[in-house]
Amino acid sequence: MMLIPELWNWASLVWLAIGIILLVYFVTFKNVKPMQRFALGLGLAFMAIAFVSPIGYLAKGYVFSAHMIQHLLMLLIVPLCFILALPKQRVSSWFSDTPKPRLAKTLVMAGWLGGVGAMWFWHVPTFCSVSTQNASLGLLRDSSFLLAGLVFWWPIFGPLESTRLSPPSGIIYLFSACLGCTLLGIYITFTNSTVCPIFAGSADSLGVMSKLQAAGFTPMVDQNLGGLLMWVPPCSLYVGAIISLLCRWYKVLDPESVPSPVVGDHEPAHLV
Amino acid sequence: MLQPDDLVDPSRRNLFSWVCSVDHKRIGIMYMLLAVFFLLVGGVEALLIRAQLAVPKNDLVSPQMFNQLFTLHGTTMVFLVGMPVFTGFSNFIVPLMIGAKDVAFPRLNAMSFWMLPFGAVLLYFSFFTGSAPDAGWFSYAPLSTKPFSSLPGVDYWIIGLAVMGIGSISGAINIVATVMCCRAPGMSMQRVPLFVWIMFMQAILIVITIPPLNSAISMLLIDRVLGAAFFEPARGGSALLWQHFFWMFGHPEVYVFALPAFAIVSEVIPVFSRKPIYGYAFVAGSSTIIVLLSYTVWAHHMFAVGLGMGPNIFFAAATLLIALPTGVKIFNWTATLWGGSIRFTTAMLFAIAFLIQFVVGGLTGIMFATVPVDWQLTDTYFVVAHFHYVLVGGIVFSLFAATYYWFPKISGRMLSERLGKLQFWLWLIGFNATFGIQHLLGLMGMPRRVYTYDDNPGWALCNGISSAGAVFMAAGTLVLVWNILKSIKSGAVAGDNPWEGFTLEWGTTSPPPLENFEELPEIKSRRPVWDADHPDLADWKTEKTPEDRGHRPAAAKVAAWSFVISEAIFFILLLVSYVVFNSGDEIEGPTAETALDVSRTGIFTFILLSSSLTFWIAERCLRKDKIGGFKLWLGLTILLGCVFIGGQVWEYSGLFSNGITVNRNLFASTFFTVTGFHGLHVTGGIIVLGIMFMLGRLGYLTSKRTHVFAAVGVYWHFVDVVWIAVFSIIYLDVFK
Repeated sequence: MMLIPELWNWASLVWLAIGIILLVYFVTFKNVKPMQRFALGLGLAFMAIAFVSPIGYLAKGYVFSAHMIQHLLMLLIVPLCFILALPKQRVSSWFSDTPKPRLAKTLVMAGWLGGVGAMWFWHVPTFCSVSTQNASLGLLRDSSFLLAGLVFWWPIFGPLESTRLSPPSGIIYLFSACLGCTLLGIYITFTNSTVCPIFAGSADSLGVMSKLQAAGFTPMVDQNLGGLLMWVPPCSLYVGAIISLLCRWYKVLDPESVPSPVVGDHEPAHLV
Repeated sequence: MLQPDDLVDPSRRNLFSWVCSVDHKRIGIMYMLLAVFFLLVGGVEALLIRAQLAVPKNDLVSPQMFNQLFTLHGTTMVFLVGMPVFTGFSNFIVPLMIGAKDVAFPRLNAMSFWMLPFGAVLLYFSFFTGSAPDAGWFSYAPLSTKPFSSLPGVDYWIIGLAVMGIGSISGAINIVATVMCCRAPGMSMQRVPLFVWIMFMQAILIVITIPPLNSAISMLLIDRVLGAAFFEPARGGSALLWQHFFWMFGHPEVYVFALPAFAIVSEVIPVFSRKPIYGYAFVAGSSTIIVLLSYTVWAHHMFAVGLGMGPNIFFAAATLLIALPTGVKIFNWTATLWGGSIRFTTAMLFAIAFLIQFVVGGLTGIMFATVPVDWQLTDTYFVVAHFHYVLVGGIVFSLFAATYYWFPKISGRMLSERLGKLQFWLWLIGFNATFGIQHLLGLMGMPRRVYTYDDNPGWALCNGISSAGAVFMAAGTLVLVWNILKSIKSGAVAGDNPWEGFTLEWGTTSPPPLENFEELPEIKSRRPVWDADHPDLADWKTEKTPEDRGHRPAAAKVAAWSFVISEAIFFILLLVSYVVFNSGDEIEGPTAETALDVSRTGIFTFILLSSSLTFWIAERCLRKDKIGGFKLWLGLTILLGCVFIGGQVWEYSGLFSNGITVNRNLFASTFFTVTGFHGLHVTGGIIVLGIMFMLGRLGYLTSKRTHVFAAVGVYWHFVDVVWIAVFSIIYLDVFK
């Protein structure tokens, strides 16, 4: 299927967005570390995959699970890459060093509600169908995913130390977000009603759908798969993030508690 | 300082002082004694099962009796042995390990314990009604519904489990609050012994894993007693929903047992290898990951029911994934042994046997994660062998390790090592004979839960070996009981630290005094007692661990939040059942659209939500010590709550007069279940608010005790949030 040239949308508008992001990034940030450059490249590549590859074509009202993959890329993967691409020191220099508990709290609330809410909101049957049919609403949806994703990941991997959650709170944040998408995923997987009516029984001009359906990939199977995609991959990603938080928790020493180098120098003497 | 002989001090000896005790050590011991008693009961049931299966076509017990035996054996071992014994160890050891005087809520602790014998009596009382539960420990529907189990056995099973569930959740909340709020100065969360960290994780898991069971059994009880049909396919219900709900509880429950085993082994192996654990952060972190993942794999118990290819693949993958954090630990323990100066005490022998047998059980588990293997082997003796390798070969063996390791601390006397080793070998031989051979029986196709079998080639021999092995385990258990009785009477005096242990419990007397410590050693690393005993080689000199910043949250608030999370899961599942049964188009009879008055309930919704605002104002008044304003706004909150309940009574009576009762159709069943449980929660909240009001009037509630009131607030606001969900889903029908 990947080989059918008509399924690839090389003229997608996403290239424009990618160009703008690249421009803004390299104008704003100089001396970027290779890893950060890599993260940016990865994010942009996923963005291209979401819209240029057959996923983009099939997500336009044909295959619900492709539509879900597109959402996951835009809500979770791409923003995560972008956040990791931000140079820590440069971004920190824009803000004062003072702790910002109120800002941090607001970001956490907005991040959680945005991250979980965006998924729920855009899968209310009416919004789901309308945003798939209407191009400008679709654009609004995709940009809202990207924005929600950025705010969602900010308290976990954001470059600004003062707005990051402590690892234990971060674990609760991610775990509860996992429960949030699990619930919706379970519903979409096991419900007998159609969540996004436009995807039920659609036919396309290329005849891909009829081939898929002939192979047993019925709209219901498609929806089951979509629900599972919403449920299992995000949770796995969150578990991955939780592992990194745990590493941070056990590794990082409180700056105040680190003994002064003088004490450190004395250590071997004690041991001897 | 307390000496072993103080156990015979008349003032601490009488039975009544035990019944009234709120001391975490005594409650811990009572948990363990109860577990030992039921280990014997469940063991006798197992022996009867094995006796019946010893030879083909046996008729020692009737088919009915056989069903009752395996049902009660499973239920007893899970709820009356596994849960209590670990809670017992947690109760006894955790406060000692973190340098606390007691658990966070000693009275709640006593209540949690006494729920357990109460539940046990309910469960076993069913024998006297002539119908013990016989639908298996997971009571699959529709077998467990009224048309197929008309006698009250299943009802006793449900009520017994509900009562024990309350005890388990409150006990777990207590452990969560204790670990978070009662740590001694210096004991940062990254420094707690692994036993504490993992039991903390286990307590969190209990808090989130018992609610699905509670939802399921509440619905089953409503089916059975009030005539609803949640789980009766013949009347539109879903038998699969029971399986989903049950295994959402049932699979994490496996980790409720496995985590404590990991916790125990993570203490025993380092001490008897005379080394710190290899990779503390890995063991702690992977336990956290297990808690998170254990919630995502339940449907691997349901591969054979026809979920479809997609769900099967995803659950298979998730199941394989959860093997990773468990597998990591095996390497941690092995690496701890590596190069250690190992002492083969009885505790260590059991821990090493645990390692090997648990790996066998784990590997057969991975076999089951592959769907086709599961289809072939499900409901055969291969399953029985698999989970007994996990639960007995792994978990019970770790339990024996814990018994030999901590008995000196608990009683002040050493257990006999000679008898201990005798018990170890009896169990090792007996266990592997009984369950190892069952792998073969399963592969040969012998189905589980069938009271007898034909004389197929090889079956008689294998079953004979299996039954003979059970006798060894029984003999081993008697040796343990004898060892305990003998050692309490005349065992060698243990001293404070007989094993040269590292953690704080070894820094006090054996048994510890009433308030645990005369004085605490300085806590600067994960092994404070080692540091105190070996100042030159102290851990903190070579390995830095995050310092304690001294932050301890208010215990009442931690408890309130834990409780609310637990309740939230309960309600989420009830709401899921509402959505499942009401999202189709073909409902006969009344529906939300035809039966409910949305605008009227909207007004009452507004009233309930405003009560959150008045509560918030009351809390502000209390914080500023304005008792008059506090009473006024709290009184108003109570009034608004009562008006809401009045509205619900009005709505219910209207529905009843139109003939809409809980047994009318699935809409009515789900509607009354969800709103009824919510109403009960509001009523409970009003009672608590009333008590707060009285305390305020009597002058006990002042600005210094705002945290208690704030904890009540967490609950009250939660009840309102639940109602928002209920109103949106049922009345506004957002899922349509």
